[in-house]
Amino acid sequence: MSLFWRIFGLNALVLGTATALLLWAPVTVSVPVLLTEAIILVGGLAVMLVANGTLLRWGLAPLDRLTRLMTTVDLLRPGQRLPVPGGGSEVSELIRTFNAMLDRLEHERATSSARALLAQEAERRRIAQELHDEVGQSMTAILLVLKRAADDAPEPLREDLQQAQEITRESLDEVRRLVRRLRPGVLDDLGLVSALTSLTQDFATHTGLRVVRRLDADLPTLGQESELVLYRVAQESLTNAARHADARQVEVSLHRVGEAVVLEIADDGRGIEAACEGAGIRGMRERALLAGATLDITSTPGTGTRIRLITPAPRKQL
Amino acid sequence: MPDPTPPGPSTASAPSPTTVTPIRILLADDHALVRRGVRLILDREPDLEVVAEAGDGAEAIEAARSQEIDLAVLDIAMPRLTGLQATRELVALKPGLRILMLTMHDNEQYLFQALKAGACGYVLKSVADRDLVAACRAAVRNEPFLYPGAVTALIRNYLDRVRHGEEDPDQLLTPREEEVLKLVAEGHSSKEIAEMLFISVKTVHRHRANLLHKLGLHDRLELTRYAIRAGLIEP
Repeated sequence: MSLFWRIFGLNALVLGTATALLLWAPVTVSVPVLLTEAIILVGGLAVMLVANGTLLRWGLAPLDRLTRLMTTVDLLRPGQRLPVPGGGSEVSELIRTFNAMLDRLEHERATSSARALLAQEAERRRIAQELHDEVGQSMTAILLVLKRAADDAPEPLREDLQQAQEITRESLDEVRRLVRRLRPGVLDDLGLVSALTSLTQDFATHTGLRVVRRLDADLPTLGQESELVLYRVAQESLTNAARHADARQVEVSLHRVGEAVVLEIADDGRGIEAACEGAGIRGMRERALLAGATLDITSTPGTGTRIRLITPAPRKQL
Repeated sequence: MPDPTPPGPSTASAPSPTTVTPIRILLADDHALVRRGVRLILDREPDLEVVAEAGDGAEAIEAARSQEIDLAVLDIAMPRLTGLQATRELVALKPGLRILMLTMHDNEQYLFQALKAGACGYVLKSVADRDLVAACRAAVRNEPFLYPGAVTALIRNYLDRVRHGEEDPDQLLTPREEEVLKLVAEGHSSKEIAEMLFISVKTVHRHRANLLHKLGLHDRLELTRYAIRAGLIEP
């Protein structure tokens, strides 16, 4: 039934009932109207309005649900849909279209943030590579040439050259730190387990956090992008644990469940309030979408936060 | 265990050129400028001689096949075959060959992977001017050569494991060694430690070397085994 006929029918029902009452009930309206008659008429009108209002509300309930979802829907948590009411009415058509629109938007969102993230990572990789391959190597060469020159130089000059050597060394260290921050080279060269080991060790060293590692080596092969997603989620979770949660111990585990890789980071900090999901967690959700992974964050105040990322391994080509 | 931070130019320990034939070195780095710089440093030592250069891992293996060499100095990041892959192949090809990594990466994962692959030393490019010559000599003596950061990281990790009962400190350290151990783990340089304890830098170096020895981290295989046991690398 279309929305028009639905509303029309409901109104007709109310008006029909009122008319029937007027026709068959023992009521007359005098001219000029008597006080009792006026009270009965106004009372009847009120009953009619209430009945009409209730019926309309019931009739438009699906639209209400639609509006509510429209205002609260979050594209970073895909899969929120409305049940389509039966029949071929405009309302069910509208809800079906809305659901389809959400499908499309979620897909768009996933691909566009994937594009942005990939572009960002690619750019970082390029800069890191250039710094490492060009700047770093040239500075190494400078350092060695300076050393040679310093060894051969007479006394007053030697000191200057040695000073230049130290400056070069410091700059070279700085370049190396930059490269490391830009791009987890270990991930490309030595794989996910090594990269996570190195990451957790760095955290343990620099933050005083005790990090317990349980990393299985026997994992299904993930794509390069998925591995980077796992790495970045672990990095962000550790940062949160160290910076915001006041955690003392973090457990990082990586294991396979069927054909998926599960990364879990659990800390003993003070947990996060669900209301204030910061940019960090939004970033994690975007990255999870990129790898087609599911991100679960459970946090209870007092007992800490547990972040779980389930990444499916790409299906093997037959 | 050689001293990871030799105090100043190490020419004093060089054997006299008349008595020994120089160590024949293969140098592999994809940057000609770096190769030239390393050559400048090594060739001026009478006991070291660069006899071959390679621009990548594959060329390095080719050169090792066609030529007699005693020591290979490899960069890790190289095209075609990385330094780590080349190390594995070189070890299989020439078991007696000593291999030294010369790299930008100050990351323990690379260090342990290099040790596991069969390299016996690991020198950072940013201290190559200071450490490379000493590392070459240590490698030829078949002693592991680690950069200072790696020693600190190892000791810190070891202490952490002792604290949580995962490692048994069966070797008794002297009180002085314990002091040094604590300061090393806190990241102080040898010079700072020497100043704090009112001893000479040389003594600090000796304590450090003894420490690693007592902790059972004094040779390549021990180190690799420790790294595997501590979960720092996969078996």
